[in-house]
Amino acid sequence: MKAIFKRELNAYFNSMLGYIFLALFLVISAVLFFTYNILNGEMNMNMFFQSILTFSLFVIPIITMRLFAEERHQKTDQLLLTSPVSVTSIVLGKFFAAMGVISIALLITAIFPFVESFYGKLSIAEIISAYIGFLFFAGSIVSIGCFMSSLTDSQIIAAITTYGVILVMLFLGFMVGNTITNDIAVKILDYLIPLNKFSDFAYGILNIEPIVYYLSVMAVLLFATVSKIESRRWR
Amino acid sequence: MIEICNLTKSYGDKLALDHVSFTVEKGEVVGFLGPNGAGKSTAMNIITGYISATDGYVKIDGDDILEKPYDVKRKIGYLPELPPLYSNMLVKEYLDFVYDLKQIKTDNKEKHIQSVMDKVKITDVQNRRIANLSKGYKQRVGLAQALLGDPQVLILDEPTVGLDPQQIIEIRDVIKQLGEKHTVILSSHILTEISAVCERVIIINKGKIVAQDSTKNLEQSMSEEIQIEIKVAANAQTALDTLSSVENIESIETVSSDSDTESEFLLKVKPEFEADVTKNISVSLAQNQTPILKLDKKMATLEDAFLKLVNVENQDETDATDETNATQKDDNKEDSDNESNI
Repeated sequence: MKAIFKRELNAYFNSMLGYIFLALFLVISAVLFFTYNILNGEMNMNMFFQSILTFSLFVIPIITMRLFAEERHQKTDQLLLTSPVSVTSIVLGKFFAAMGVISIALLITAIFPFVESFYGKLSIAEIISAYIGFLFFAGSIVSIGCFMSSLTDSQIIAAITTYGVILVMLFLGFMVGNTITNDIAVKILDYLIPLNKFSDFAYGILNIEPIVYYLSVMAVLLFATVSKIESRRWR
Repeated sequence: MIEICNLTKSYGDKLALDHVSFTVEKGEVVGFLGPNGAGKSTAMNIITGYISATDGYVKIDGDDILEKPYDVKRKIGYLPELPPLYSNMLVKEYLDFVYDLKQIKTDNKEKHIQSVMDKVKITDVQNRRIANLSKGYKQRVGLAQALLGDPQVLILDEPTVGLDPQQIIEIRDVIKQLGEKHTVILSSHILTEISAVCERVIIINKGKIVAQDSTKNLEQSMSEEIQIEIKVAANAQTALDTLSSVENIESIETVSSDSDTESEFLLKVKPEFEADVTKNISVSLAQNQTPILKLDKKMATLEDAFLKLVNVENQDETDATDETNATQKDDNKEDSDNESNI
């Protein structure tokens, strides 16, 4: 797993992909920080986190689309699958590499609260919890991307299907409480949309429920990815 | 060392491998020969654990790949048809990665990688990006990858494809050297390659083994009849009269008889009479004052054996499908496709 993680992380920065992701992510989060916090003179970073959360939905597929589709396209999966490593460790290595790129981006955004801390009193606990929450949230989106990438050998199709799933999630999110009012439907949909589970983190509450929720979303999707790759050998 | 039993693989209705069984002894170099689409790559992919068989099993050193996948995979070095290279990596970086990936344990990692690079002569490109290498060098990096960790078994799928003649000879020498210490299965549709490198050949067509024997035996079994080419300075009729007076010639075929002063024939002779016939021909031609311009013995090669075996197979199939009915037209189309591929 370590070898795969190392190679994947390097691969992001051997090509333009890692830099494109970082540039996009950082430019947009800087703009958001500037409009919400600096222009309004606002110390609370809640709005900032909520917005980059939504925004990240559109940049994460950039780094997940290649994960398995590229291997299959270049036939390098032949090397991985004939090496003495388990499919689970291949999937986890790749998952953590994508998370690594996101972590690098988040680490750089830590400049924003740091700058703020010169001008007022900052709730550090709240910010740390928001970052933790963001990582959990990103993990669930990355695992969607992982799974979609394992279904095809075309990176473009992997990206488009990931965007498709994300868009459906967003629309359902808007409809919950507005168009959809049935109690049971609302409850079920609430569970299907990772976006809704973030608010606790943003308020500095490290609740066990959303953490378990995000972990199980990741577990289910990564398991599905492993099964998908294993099953391909039998066809 | 390698034991393959009843290996079957079907893709939907299509049988890519049909109950293939063979064994390879330790230290043997075995050639896997067949036309395109015969199932060579499928068989290799199953042996290395990349895909699974529909039926049958593969045992390496007595261990089934499904029961002890990691132990077995550690013993195999695999060069697939398309070398599995990450084009964005440097050669050295890539080999480093493969070393870690395969969890190879040697005393000195650097030294081991260096020795493998020396073996396939890629030391001078070690700091170049794989994407910028020529096809030949990419193939060698792929081979280096398979050699890392000094695995007991090497599975090489068309290792010399796309190389220039000089490189082909070099890679063949490398494989010959490897055959001294490793068990090698090598696939190819180039026959000279197999006869140059392998001790034993397995000929496969449409997922079935049609022959397996030593390269030598296979060539010999083909020479039930020796063909003698002869060209004389006389018109066809005169020469034919002289030739037919010689005993023990199975058949005489006139190859060219256009000119009055030259004609060419192809004679078929049983091996045991070959020496006598050659002697008698020249004597009787000399008595008739007919100069011999060319006298040549044609030996059956592996190529003839291959073409004969594969064609017989294809013929059978076509006959069978013809008899059934028109709904299987597709199959026939496939047959003829295969034939044109050979």
